[in-house]
Amino acid sequence: MKIIKFIATSLFCSLFIVIPVLIIRFLSLDAGLPLKIIYSLLLASILISTQVVFARKNKYGLKDYLLWILSHSILMVNVAIVLIPITWMVSASFTAGDLLSGVPVIPNPSEWTLDNYKYLFEYRRSSDQFLSDYLKAFSTTLYIAVLNTILVVVLSSLVGFAFSRYKFKGRKGILLTLMGLQMFPAFMGMIALFMMFRQFGLINNATALTFIYVAGAIPYNTFIVRGFMRSIPKSLDEAASIDGASNLQIMTKIIIPLAIPIMGFIAVTAFMTPWMDFILPSIMMPQNETLAVWLFRFNHLTNATYRPLKFMAGALVIAVPIIIVQMYMQKYVVYGLTAGADKG
Amino acid sequence: MFEKLRFDKKIKRVVADVKENPKAFRIALRSFFIMGWGTLTNKHKFKGMPLVILFTLLVLFEIITSTYWFAPGEIFGEYAPAAGERMYFFRDYGGFFAAGIWGFFTLGKLVLGDTYRGETIKVYDKIITWKSADNSIVLLGEGVLAIILIMIFVSIWVLQIRDAYRIAKTIEATGEVEQWQQFKKKMFDEFFAYLIVIPAAVLILFLTLVPFAFSFLIAFTNYTSKVSIGGQLIEWVGFQNFGTYLFKPEWLLFFGKVLGWTLLFALMSSITVYLVGFFQAMVVESKYIKYKKVWRVFMILPWAIPALVTQMVFRNIFSANGGLANELLVEFGLLEQAKTFFASIGLMGQTHSGVILWFNDTMNGPLAKVMVILVNLWLGSPYFMLLIVGVLGTIPAALYEAAEIDGANAYKKFKYITFPWVLRATIPVIITTFTFNFNNMGAVYFLTEGAPGYPIDMVPLAMRVTGATPGQTDILISWIYKIAFANDPQRYNLASTYSILIFVIVGVFAIYNLSKVKSFWED
Repeated sequence: MKIIKFIATSLFCSLFIVIPVLIIRFLSLDAGLPLKIIYSLLLASILISTQVVFARKNKYGLKDYLLWILSHSILMVNVAIVLIPITWMVSASFTAGDLLSGVPVIPNPSEWTLDNYKYLFEYRRSSDQFLSDYLKAFSTTLYIAVLNTILVVVLSSLVGFAFSRYKFKGRKGILLTLMGLQMFPAFMGMIALFMMFRQFGLINNATALTFIYVAGAIPYNTFIVRGFMRSIPKSLDEAASIDGASNLQIMTKIIIPLAIPIMGFIAVTAFMTPWMDFILPSIMMPQNETLAVWLFRFNHLTNATYRPLKFMAGALVIAVPIIIVQMYMQKYVVYGLTAGADKG
Repeated sequence: MFEKLRFDKKIKRVVADVKENPKAFRIALRSFFIMGWGTLTNKHKFKGMPLVILFTLLVLFEIITSTYWFAPGEIFGEYAPAAGERMYFFRDYGGFFAAGIWGFFTLGKLVLGDTYRGETIKVYDKIITWKSADNSIVLLGEGVLAIILIMIFVSIWVLQIRDAYRIAKTIEATGEVEQWQQFKKKMFDEFFAYLIVIPAAVLILFLTLVPFAFSFLIAFTNYTSKVSIGGQLIEWVGFQNFGTYLFKPEWLLFFGKVLGWTLLFALMSSITVYLVGFFQAMVVESKYIKYKKVWRVFMILPWAIPALVTQMVFRNIFSANGGLANELLVEFGLLEQAKTFFASIGLMGQTHSGVILWFNDTMNGPLAKVMVILVNLWLGSPYFMLLIVGVLGTIPAALYEAAEIDGANAYKKFKYITFPWVLRATIPVIITTFTFNFNNMGAVYFLTEGAPGYPIDMVPLAMRVTGATPGQTDILISWIYKIAFANDPQRYNLASTYSILIFVIVGVFAIYNLSKVKSFWED
């Protein structure tokens, strides 16, 4: 019985491998590298099925067995749906030329080139420019991101501390205002900000743009910090204040060191914001573009610089570090969402 | 009636109190006229001096930014206004506050070429500013700024009068004058919270609240980018924008269409990501799956990729020139079947030969809409999967054990334990997601830019000439963005009018959300 299950499971797993192999054969594509990957996957799937069938002795009835197959097929389909667009994107970024139609359906690494990536680091709009267009956009964005991180962390931890520890006049009003503000997109005030900035000559000024981000980020982060700091017992403050610590000391020596994890969360979020924000910089910094604006420019069909493959390369260069950071950040998802105001 | 009575009583009480303490009243009166004077009389130098300095600075600021001292000489001399000519004193000579308030209410009076006080208005005259043409939008901005500063100033002023009165009373009663050391300690104890909130509050005031107020006010003007600065003035038009654009039948029809789609999009995209995320979480956490972490890494990839990149990549995937979607269909020989299928379920209004125009065919509106929701599902469901996996971990195992003893099967366990538990924990997130999607401009703008447009004969002429026509997948916010910044006559007033509507709609949800959060006010 076990043997039959084992063979059936292996066959089932290999189906998902065999089908792509057949497609490759059918399209008679050169399949040097992909085939190797596929065969190693096949081996892995056989190993997995061995484990499944033999590890839990006698526990699996037929129903469990069917459910095992069902849940694995669901996951496989899911992963396929996730991976197909990503693979296509990667493959497109390595394809020569400027046309989407040049990108093969099945990635073909033997024809890959680094042209698009070279373009990112070499092309300059004017010859007196020190950095390439892409790197210039990158450095502008980096500057905004660093400044934004510092300001957001400092300001929202101060405000969060005030709201978690003090009762003062106007507290309710300010909290309500913050709560309301975080519901509205910053875009609402854009028309006014644009005119204000134009009036004061701040268009294309990265520092000024950063302050808009900071003002926009404070409301939400205040709730996050407040939620976290409320969970720090107040007896700690009281003990310290009996020992003669001032408010400033309580804040800097006790509460903030304890709140370091949540500040890390805020810092990373604040650092990420400018990389992928398009609307604000597109209006406020038309001549001094950030990465998101660069990406949009290269992906915009009616634009003179429409070059989808260069876009893919540029997007990947920035997406990979972000993906790594996000993967690290996943443990905060549950916390970040349920913290602050939503607790209850 | 009751309110009024209480108010009357309060006034009576204050009057009685003042009659009892005539000395304190005199001190408060000093503060009334000059900020900080009363406090100084109370011998609170450390508090009085900053107030006096602040007051002096404000007065100085008004005077320095003004040209009051030229006024007498010019009005009665060289530049006397012609007989019967109206003169705008604060426009010509006022400082920041006076001119600001003048500008706010009038939005300017003179344009290029006007004759005023014997001179013709030139473009810009640095020496005699009143020879410059008025720039309404600057006047409005300065006006909003001046009014907000005045409001802050007035509240400080009221507070310091009350403070001077109270302290005078205390001194009279006890004879004790608070010293600097005491004040410093009090400051750090009681006002510490204010001190650390102020920097953030100032930023939010100037970069969020003032712009919101300004945008709000624009909706009551006739401002568009066609208004040439200096040549024309902007005017207050009251509710005219609402009348001409919003409540005219043909505009209302389109507004209804866009609003309907926005609501549908927000609702559908929130529900689909939630249900699919829930399903993914249940599957990946089921007992049959080994190496859960490995599976999860692949499944949360769409969440880790920045949404902007995903949306832009999907725009290419659905491109009619070599996009992956069409290529795949062609490769598997399914193109015709797909077309027939889409047509049969009503997503495609007409079928062409050749590839599918996902976003560009005016008859394929429903198809584009479905694709927008599906792309949002692709990038949104992993987030909920992560969230729900986290929530599943918080369900006490004892619940399931008890259910098993009672003989519940898997379905019943899900129905009576898992689902209610997860739903209760995630309801606030669902509402947040809904409001987020309501304003999820990226999901539409980076993917389709609102395309496909409506068939040209469907669009009323009045709307076409304004260049403000929405596309079929445009949601409110992307439509507003196009009206304000993308289309040629940038109709700031129209965009602001619609923004106010979003304010109202989102505000309803905000209030609902607030009322739901019980522990919000507890401490």
